[in-house]
Amino acid sequence: MKAKITFKGGIHPPENKDLCGELSIKDFPPPGIAVLPLQQSLGSPSEPVVKKGDKVKKGTLIARSKGYISANLHSSISGEVIDIKKAPHPLLGEANAVIIKSDNRDEPEKDYSTEDVSAAGLSSGEILGLIQNAGIVGLGGATFPAHVKLNPPPDKPVKTLIINGAECEPYLASDHSLMLNNAEQILKGAVMIKKILNAEKCLIAIEENKKDAVSLFRQKLNSLKDIAGLEVLPLNVKYPQGAEKQLIYTLTGKEVPSGGLPMDISVLVHNIGTVFAIYEAVFLKKPLFERVITVSGKGIKNPANWRVRIGTPFKTLINHSGVTDRTIKKLIMGGPMMGLAQYTDEVPVVKATSGILLLTSEEAAAFEHLPCIRCGKCVTACPMGLMPAEISKMVEKGRIDMAKSIGLMDCMECGSCNYICPSGTNLLQYIKLGKYEYMRSKNAKR
Amino acid sequence: MLKDKHLTVTVSPHIKTALTTEKMMWIVSCALVPAAGAGIYFFGFHAALVITVCVVSSLLTEFLCTLLMKKPATIKDGSAFLTGLLLALCLPPELPLWMCALGGFFSIAVTKFAFGGLGYNIFNPALAGRAFLMGAFAKEMTTWKTLQVFPDGITAATPLNLLKEQGYDSLMKVFDSHSHLFRELFIGRVGGSIGETSAGLLIIGGLILLFARIITWHIPVSYIFTVMVISYFTGGVFGIPFHLFSGGLVLGAFFMATDPVTSPITPKGQIIFGIGCGILTMLIRIRGGYPEGVCYAILLMNSVTPLIERYSKTKIFGVKR
Amino acid sequence: MEREEKSNTGYLKELTKGFIRENPIFVLCLGLCPTLAVSNLVENAFGMGIAFFFVLLCSNITISLVQKLIPDEVRIPCFIVIIASFVTVASLLMQWFIPDVYARMSLYINLIVVNCIILGRAEAFASKNNVFRSMLDAIGMGIGFTAGLFIISAIREVTGFGTFLGFRLIPENIKPITIMILAPGAFFTIGFLMALFNLIRIKKGKVSK
Repeated sequence: MKAKITFKGGIHPPENKDLCGELSIKDFPPPGIAVLPLQQSLGSPSEPVVKKGDKVKKGTLIARSKGYISANLHSSISGEVIDIKKAPHPLLGEANAVIIKSDNRDEPEKDYSTEDVSAAGLSSGEILGLIQNAGIVGLGGATFPAHVKLNPPPDKPVKTLIINGAECEPYLASDHSLMLNNAEQILKGAVMIKKILNAEKCLIAIEENKKDAVSLFRQKLNSLKDIAGLEVLPLNVKYPQGAEKQLIYTLTGKEVPSGGLPMDISVLVHNIGTVFAIYEAVFLKKPLFERVITVSGKGIKNPANWRVRIGTPFKTLINHSGVTDRTIKKLIMGGPMMGLAQYTDEVPVVKATSGILLLTSEEAAAFEHLPCIRCGKCVTACPMGLMPAEISKMVEKGRIDMAKSIGLMDCMECGSCNYICPSGTNLLQYIKLGKYEYMRSKNAKR
Repeated sequence: MLKDKHLTVTVSPHIKTALTTEKMMWIVSCALVPAAGAGIYFFGFHAALVITVCVVSSLLTEFLCTLLMKKPATIKDGSAFLTGLLLALCLPPELPLWMCALGGFFSIAVTKFAFGGLGYNIFNPALAGRAFLMGAFAKEMTTWKTLQVFPDGITAATPLNLLKEQGYDSLMKVFDSHSHLFRELFIGRVGGSIGETSAGLLIIGGLILLFARIITWHIPVSYIFTVMVISYFTGGVFGIPFHLFSGGLVLGAFFMATDPVTSPITPKGQIIFGIGCGILTMLIRIRGGYPEGVCYAILLMNSVTPLIERYSKTKIFGVKR
Repeated sequence: MEREEKSNTGYLKELTKGFIRENPIFVLCLGLCPTLAVSNLVENAFGMGIAFFFVLLCSNITISLVQKLIPDEVRIPCFIVIIASFVTVASLLMQWFIPDVYARMSLYINLIVVNCIILGRAEAFASKNNVFRSMLDAIGMGIGFTAGLFIISAIREVTGFGTFLGFRLIPENIKPITIMILAPGAFFTIGFLMALFNLIRIKKGKVSK
């Protein structure tokens, strides 16, 4: 079976996913120095529980969550805390971080390799506690703490759980490789989440360009127990197929109301990476201190998917992968459509990092910014049904109120309009500015 | 290792499509080449001169305007070339050359740059240039090089002219049978403007634009469909192919009405725009003073484009109507 | 003595402001209807200009003389009556001296009664200033309007007919641009001249970009 409908709009950028070649996951050696920013999730930053000079092991809790919407942080290597200071942060520019120097022994806090089969019998509350302790956040990029998302208010029960394996961003193949290497564990995690939420069904959505993952999951489903309600659904290949609202529409035909959350229509979406992390937290009692990322781009000599410790500086990964002698233009955390350009390679891998791309000047777009010729391609491409050209012009003229009235705040910043624009207009830049200005004036009014 | 390299920091996205405005303009120009070639083949060397003069005058005016207005030079984006080419294709083949040059100047200087340049014009520059020449030199603009001759030696004008002024019978006198008339219209061996007669080659060009995703189907399909429906109700089965292939309809529907700058931005608006063009075209052809109405129909619809856009907003995802 | 000098320069300003700075056609955009209608021939434009000048001058002087006598509530009807009287005088004079020009444009001469420039000057200037200032204002505005009409009509006649005041400038075998003597031609011409005037004013620093 396949998803019958598709969302309106969308684009087909060149995928470039084959740069990584084979889809094995290689273990990246623990770095000499790990930089662990305290803010790695939405909500408030966590509070350090170690101080300078403390000895830590792999998996030791080094910062505790502060408030409900916040997440724990664990050491990713064994060694000594040498400082807690401001350090480059890939999302915030600069933020407080715990800096740990490795003792090269890589001692774990406890054994993380044996599966605890009794975990399947735990109660929902116990499982949520394990997830909260492990500091798991949404690994698709939103970094919303998982224990909050998995505990919806009682008046909004979740009926459908969607596991998002679309990975529609070009270049990135980390979720794909994870699906191929850890299919069984992901399914176990999915069953676990379905049980916590008491959901009726669980849909595993995978884009059709990952045929091997689709067939592997179907095969595994047949060999597992407790799989009632689980289903694998291939999706059309289109960007942004993996965007939450578009994914839900494709699979269920329901639209998340403007300004609302998926749980308003009884749906919850989790990323493949998050599901795997939840499996590890529940069955292996392993906190989130490493994740799979793609290191790619035509600037990288040996692109690959690595299982890498959180806190590894980008430059360690880039040096290890080698740099080609082509002109390097951009260093990006995440995919080329929604990723963030970095000003330095000192930044560390954080929980939100799904990939590191080193783009050459031939791949990275040079935006010339000719005048808009009103071709309407952005209107056709916008998956949210907006008129990006109009919104951006209104923001450009300072009319935030008008822009708001035609859907400024509904934009999810997928970048489809900006990609397709033949004039090279920086539509998204203006839309982001408009959203920022709107939030600022709204907060000022309060 | 990256220390000596400069990293560019911009907001996302970091990749973009290869289809730029410049490429779009040149692809449209290329799609017009077959029709222009047919025009030169049927109407002779002077047609080639008309095309050259229009293009050169448009380019020169664009250059002077950007120079005077101290704007970055935009000649290479191909929009002025395309305007000149389109203008030439809707002019009669024997128009004096200085008039062609004046038309090119008007198209670029008045309809494009007086409004702010590429992307800001309200009216389609090529059509506005043609309308200007029509107002200025009404006689020359309706003097057609004729390819068909009456048995008694009187030369005939365009088929639309013939139908309007002398009636169906004289049209049939020139073209013997329906099938002969339709064949000639499709190939382009009839009187008319340089680039508008060869319906077949223009349709090929239009299909190129559709497949290259430079235009969408909304305007051409709604435009042509409307014309077909109205011509069926006014002229019967004969009317459909006759009104479809004669005059500038195919050129207008695929190349002029789809001009992105002057047509609505939303798909729904584009359909309304196409229907409006179709109704006005047929209204002018059947009831109006001119035999052909494509040019004025599109110009009139250009002027209501902002209004259409206001009432054809897209449906925002997650918002209930 | 100082005050005298100041007011002297002030007088000069009242006279010259109508030329470019507050040109009634290109800057104030008033009286465009007769401008469009009669500017296809230089001869017509002159006839209109002279009639207009006469009416404006006389009405401005009269209104500034009787400004204290007119009750505020009925000032507009009073202005109109005064203007209409002079328009009648002008149209009778034209009928006598230049009957053929009058025959072509009698309608537009009579419509001077409701011309917004004349009424505007009466309301905004003559009813508030003394006789001498009002006279200077009328002369300046009159010259500005007539000169504007002259420029527009010269361009339109030369391009649209190929003649100037009836003399052929462009050989017969070159087709004149007919559209220039039709209404669109007037709009094109006025538009471009307006742009030119704005350019001059920007260069002089009178208006900000």
